Amino acid sequence: MSHYPATGQWTTCRVCGRHVHARQWGTWRQCPYCQAWQRLTAKQRIDQLVDADSFEPLPVVARSQNQLAFPGYATKLAQATEKTGLTEAVVAGWATIQTWPVMLIVMDSHFMMGTLNTTVSRRIMAALKQARQRQVPVIMVTASGGARMQEGIYALVGMNLILAEMARLAAVPVPVISVLTDPTMGGVSASFAFKADVVLAEAGAKIGFAGPRVIQQTMPVDLPADFQSAASLYENGAVDAVIARPELRDQLGDILASYRFQGVSTHG
Amino acid sequence: MDERLKRLRAADRLSAPTVIQALLPTFVPLHGDRVLGDDAALTAGFGRTADQQALTVLGIDRGQNVNERRQKNGGALTVPGYRTALRVLAHTEKFRMPVVSLLNMPGADASPQSEEHGQSQAIADLIAAMGQLTVPNIVVFLGEGHSGGALGFANANRVIMLDDSLFNVASPEAVAAILHGQQTVSAAIDLLPMTAAALKQRGLVDVVIDHRAPDLVATLSTQIIDLLVPLLPVMPDALIAQREEKFQAFLEQWPLN
Repeated sequence: MSHYPATGQWTTCRVCGRHVHARQWGTWRQCPYCQAWQRLTAKQRIDQLVDADSFEPLPVVARSQNQLAFPGYATKLAQATEKTGLTEAVVAGWATIQTWPVMLIVMDSHFMMGTLNTTVSRRIMAALKQARQRQVPVIMVTASGGARMQEGIYALVGMNLILAEMARLAAVPVPVISVLTDPTMGGVSASFAFKADVVLAEAGAKIGFAGPRVIQQTMPVDLPADFQSAASLYENGAVDAVIARPELRDQLGDILASYRFQGVSTHG
Repeated sequence: MDERLKRLRAADRLSAPTVIQALLPTFVPLHGDRVLGDDAALTAGFGRTADQQALTVLGIDRGQNVNERRQKNGGALTVPGYRTALRVLAHTEKFRMPVVSLLNMPGADASPQSEEHGQSQAIADLIAAMGQLTVPNIVVFLGEGHSGGALGFANANRVIMLDDSLFNVASPEAVAAILHGQQTVSAAIDLLPMTAAALKQRGLVDVVIDHRAPDLVATLSTQIIDLLVPLLPVMPDALIAQREEKFQAFLEQWPLN
């Protein structure tokens, strides 16, 4: 079950299960009892990262439908839309971070666990293309269980196409920074998430390919508590840095200031 | 088990090493990723066909007996396997040899070790490298190929499937699992387009070959070369563009709504 923040004053910590009042969550949405960072919605994430009022969403290029008539999928899509107010598991748009222009792509795990489908792929490709045309750095905040099974191979080929788009960005070159948040798994992890120029992991995030449940179904192993944690990925050399949520905006600002990409006008 | 799956996973199923032996009378095997180790599930190398065409091959098979299956991890490639494939791709670009991948593999390897070795990064690197390959590549599905691992090899200019083979986002078992037992594994095969016929009809697959063909290995070898020859003079940029256009055209079948 997802735990989309309800509109009421009290919500449950998805890690320790305690009831937490809206005011206790604070700006960064950290559980006051167990210190776990709660999963953010795309909107919360954008608000935390960008300069005030700087976010301009891209026009929505596609909406999802149950093209293959997969059992139960249409209902799941409708429920996800109702729960999140989003039309899909990703939001993309222009913004500035500490005055640096960026194309910000934010996935939302509250929409069908942020799974990658045809629409999500199309939106990411469109965002990457526009960033390339304006030579504006891309920031991808990933949160996904992987490819969306209900769309079969159509969901999977998005991985090839997004990586093809990223190859064109690399040829310009335009920097791509990824921020892996909880959870980043499967087809998202095994495609664009790890193919960025700088790969940051948010503290507390679980990041991997196959999830612990799938691994334990295959082999009876005791997995350590820090298995697939951002900290263990850093130790294994899989990510450039582990950043705590309150420091993320400044960290991205420093990276952008180091690249110094101002963007170019597409007119003339 | 479902009869179709049983056949694909059978010990006597036509395997990549058998095809490679027939295809390349002269064959130089390449082993190991030079960092972590070797992956027995991968048969990689280069050689010459009977007609002197230079070729690189990347074959993945499940193994033909219990011992082999253990060594080959049932065909679930591990990080050294992907990294070896990447090394072999660098070699093939250097000597301008086209690449033929031959697959019969389950989904990704679900193990703590593969996670610690950076399985995601390895798969992402392979998908990207195959997409940007400056020589022609062809993939042949001899059995199953699921999930990101198979997708990397399938980022190819041409796709061949044996008529009873499967290519999907996840195994039929995994598809059945998300439906919480409302559908059997057999039914799950037909819920999503994963059979050769379904994917041919949708334009993702170029050629489907009857797995009961009297001389299957010879038929397959001929078909691989027939598809490859027209690709040999194609310029690198066009090969790269062609792969993307193929998958883009496939995606376009899904209406924008």
